[in-house]
Amino acid sequence: MNGGTTERIESGKGVDAPREEAAVPPTSKILSWVTTVDHKRVGIMYILTAVFFLVVGGCEALLIRIQLAVPENDFISPAFFNQMFTMHGTTMVFLVGMPVLIGFANYFVPLQIGAKDVAFPRLNAMSFWMLPFGGFLLYYSFMTSTAPDAGWFSYAPLSTKPYSSLGGIDYWILALLVLGIGSVAGAINMAVTVLSMRAPGMSLQRVPLFTWMAFITALLTILALPALNSALAMLFIDRWLDAAFFEPARGGSALLWQHFFWIFGHPEVYILVLPAFGMISEVIPVFSRKPIYGYSFVAGSTVVIFLLSYGVWAHHMFAVGLGMFADIFFAIGTLLIALPTGVKVFNWTATMWGGSIRLTVSMLFAIAFLVEFVLGGLTGVMFAAVPIDWQLTDTYFVVGHFHYVLIGGTVFGLFAATFYWFPKMTGRMLSEGLGKLQFVLWVLGFNLTFMLHHFLGLMGMPRRVYTYSDEPGWALLNGLSSLGAVFMALGTLVFVWNLWVSKRKGKVAGDNPWGGFTLEWATTSPPPVENFTSLPEIKSRRPVWDRDHPDLADWKSAKTPEDGGWRPFKGKVAMGAFVASEAVFFILLLVSFVVFNSGDRGGLDGPSPLDVPRTALFTVILLGSSVTFWFAERALRGGDQKGFLRWLLITVVMGLVFLGGQAIEYAGLIRSGVTINSNLFASTFFTVTGFHGFHVFAGIVALMILYFLGRKGELKQKRANIFSAAGIYWHFVDVVWIFVFAIIYLRVLQ
Amino acid sequence: MGGVWNEIVGLWSWASPIWLVIAAVLVGYWAFFGGRMERRSWWLAGSLAGLVVAYVSPVAELADGVMFTAHMIQHLVLLLLVPLCFLLSLPRERMEEWLARPRVEPWGRLLSFSPVGWALGLSVMWVWHVPTLCSASLQSSWLGVFQDVTFVVAGLFFWWPVFSPMKAQRLAPASAALYLFTACVGCTLLGIYLTFTPISVCPVFARPAAGTGLLEAVRLGGFSARMDQRLGGLLMWVPPCVLYAGAIVAVCRRWYAGEEDEVVESENFRAGESVK
Repeated sequence: MNGGTTERIESGKGVDAPREEAAVPPTSKILSWVTTVDHKRVGIMYILTAVFFLVVGGCEALLIRIQLAVPENDFISPAFFNQMFTMHGTTMVFLVGMPVLIGFANYFVPLQIGAKDVAFPRLNAMSFWMLPFGGFLLYYSFMTSTAPDAGWFSYAPLSTKPYSSLGGIDYWILALLVLGIGSVAGAINMAVTVLSMRAPGMSLQRVPLFTWMAFITALLTILALPALNSALAMLFIDRWLDAAFFEPARGGSALLWQHFFWIFGHPEVYILVLPAFGMISEVIPVFSRKPIYGYSFVAGSTVVIFLLSYGVWAHHMFAVGLGMFADIFFAIGTLLIALPTGVKVFNWTATMWGGSIRLTVSMLFAIAFLVEFVLGGLTGVMFAAVPIDWQLTDTYFVVGHFHYVLIGGTVFGLFAATFYWFPKMTGRMLSEGLGKLQFVLWVLGFNLTFMLHHFLGLMGMPRRVYTYSDEPGWALLNGLSSLGAVFMALGTLVFVWNLWVSKRKGKVAGDNPWGGFTLEWATTSPPPVENFTSLPEIKSRRPVWDRDHPDLADWKSAKTPEDGGWRPFKGKVAMGAFVASEAVFFILLLVSFVVFNSGDRGGLDGPSPLDVPRTALFTVILLGSSVTFWFAERALRGGDQKGFLRWLLITVVMGLVFLGGQAIEYAGLIRSGVTINSNLFASTFFTVTGFHGFHVFAGIVALMILYFLGRKGELKQKRANIFSAAGIYWHFVDVVWIFVFAIIYLRVLQ
Repeated sequence: MGGVWNEIVGLWSWASPIWLVIAAVLVGYWAFFGGRMERRSWWLAGSLAGLVVAYVSPVAELADGVMFTAHMIQHLVLLLLVPLCFLLSLPRERMEEWLARPRVEPWGRLLSFSPVGWALGLSVMWVWHVPTLCSASLQSSWLGVFQDVTFVVAGLFFWWPVFSPMKAQRLAPASAALYLFTACVGCTLLGIYLTFTPISVCPVFARPAAGTGLLEAVRLGGFSARMDQRLGGLLMWVPPCVLYAGAIVAVCRRWYAGEEDEVVESENFRAGESVK
């Protein structure tokens, strides 16, 4: 929690520049990568892992396209086809899209804000290692009975035990939980880095747009991933503890899974695309030799996207029958969110207007992004019209639509960023010639493959079906579509070859080969371990431009809000973000309780078996522990070490007493035959209180660690901030209990 | 056609006592701030128009035990629109001067204490939808008036930390965004609950007193009590959040304030240069 400033410098020894590394024996070179906490190396490992999985997921896509190249094909079996599209989707979203964007943010956000590293370097390394671990879990499923095969959103009840009895779904759940933990930890780190680690002069209104987008993406991740985690936890409990949250046959709700999944799933779309917005907001101005047009609109509208993205998830569910009113409202919300997104396209275009444009490969991909993303966005607006959605949902039109967003948007943005930043990361330029070849192959192949999907969808070809009959035109369109995939595969080979060759023999880049504006171009390529030897003065949004063109400096012509020096304490911000994330998790669990226990949904029939007065007593004790914690904090701040330890010990004991009360409750229920699989009341009760009890337990462990640190004299008055950060968690756990008690015991809202 | 027309005209409560309140507000406003028409006068007009919508238009008649949806519109107008427009109509200089007075100052500080505003704003939404309270407020006119007053007062408290006429009393932009975002989460959860719960949160609307021909017409149109509550829940859910998103945009604008025009100028300047 203390951020680890000392170990960061130590671990950086001897990893200064690539040339020096050559002298180090290969095993310790690998070891230095495995043990690194340097944000740049962690970033590169994220990116390389993502590239590896890009190839894997790409191969899965190729198998799908080979199978669909001709009608009535039997190249792969229907079951294997299901596994392929499930693994392709899951891989591309969780093992390619998110990691590669986190990787770029990891590398460049600290550089762009003039920081030495991220806020918590060791947490950063942990977040990264969750990625190969999660990827391994997911792919290990092939070694067992079956890979996951219920689609990347694993709709219930297909994903429940009666319909998917083999282990694939379980590996899918576990892998996503592991990846989710890594993503949330990484996102918290990123958000704290942007808030607390900015160099003097770098006010939040001056951060480069890529940093701003990475920040908003981090906030989205922190608040969206827990929705998926709670759904996954419930599905896992269904599958292994025989509950029935998502089994309609036993009173559960398959629809609830869809709601929970898309509460995560729609913000996820923005998690995947906002960093690409940030990337091309860097690339287009530099290669147009102009500042971005309407910085504050681009930045501010992203905040609106953040807010609205949580309010439009049900547009993925128009076909399930939410009722006319719900459809209308969600359609309006969906149309609204197109506004802040669509106007940005004008910002980028206006940036190019009148600029002196250099058509480098990076810029070409950025321009292709504009065109393709507009197409994907427009078909997205079409889907906001409910009847069109009804007609086209689950056809290849949808497949075409989201590939335009995710390839035309995200992947093209990534290619633009790779050509733009590769020189900074390696010190060498990527080959422009090979880049242009790749550009042509990708633009051709991509449009060939996915434009035709729109037509196939309009003709009624359903997605996720392993083959099709020879309807008029389908064979031709599918064949061409598969041909396009070959172009993209070739383009990828050219790209990987370009990376490989240029890393070795590319033209030496120098510090600022493109004439970039932002701080990453103020240091060497690649940057030294500590990132900067000196920083230019930061008085505008383009400090490097100001340094290089003192006469035309931005701050002379345009004022930006001065840096007020606000850098919040890292531990508190991180804990606040973590608590916000946990709050979403608990809110959804409590929602599920209300859903199943209102009216006659299969929850409680008859009187509640819970002992309300006794639990009220234990509630008072738990809430009292918040007060004693506060006393401990006051004593610590006042320098009264003894009083601090005494109050802290009392807090721990009160927490333990509360857990004891819960244990009595559980024992009584189990003795009278009420277990987690008895009915939906018991399932929701044990799930909510169980997770809460686990949080109390974790809090007690943390408090005991702090207690022993205090005993040893390592937690004293001047480090009281750390204790306060732990307090945020402890108070949060108590607040959650107030809601749990009100909803489950006092039966408010039912 | 004529019948429908009469029906609609008959729904307007022209004799509502709210006109007295509106007159009092106008007179008070004129006495305190003068009667000159300015841009802020439009905000005052908006605020008073909100009162007309809530008490004079058909919304008032329908909210009185006929349609939950109309009841919800009335709530939202009183809680969100009327106080917000009123706050924006206050002249800044006069208010700053007035709020700095020693006897007024502590009240201003209380208003600007954001946890109070947040809690009041959300709790009136939640508390007045407890089934017994919701029904009771419709059966007792005094309780109904009390409810409406709490909406307007809570709305003033809610908006004050974001749009206080006194700059010093406003939340910092990041905190204001957080304030509005969490408020949106609060009303979203309530909206989701109202939309999807099988429980009737305002039983008066599910089992209304017999004899209202209007209700029968509404029900015959296929608008069931369940649908009514759904629509009401969606109104609780989506429009406030859109309003809060708009407020966040305003806060962002303020945050980046004063530089956008200059940037555009300098961009034109530079674009001109690069063409040369």
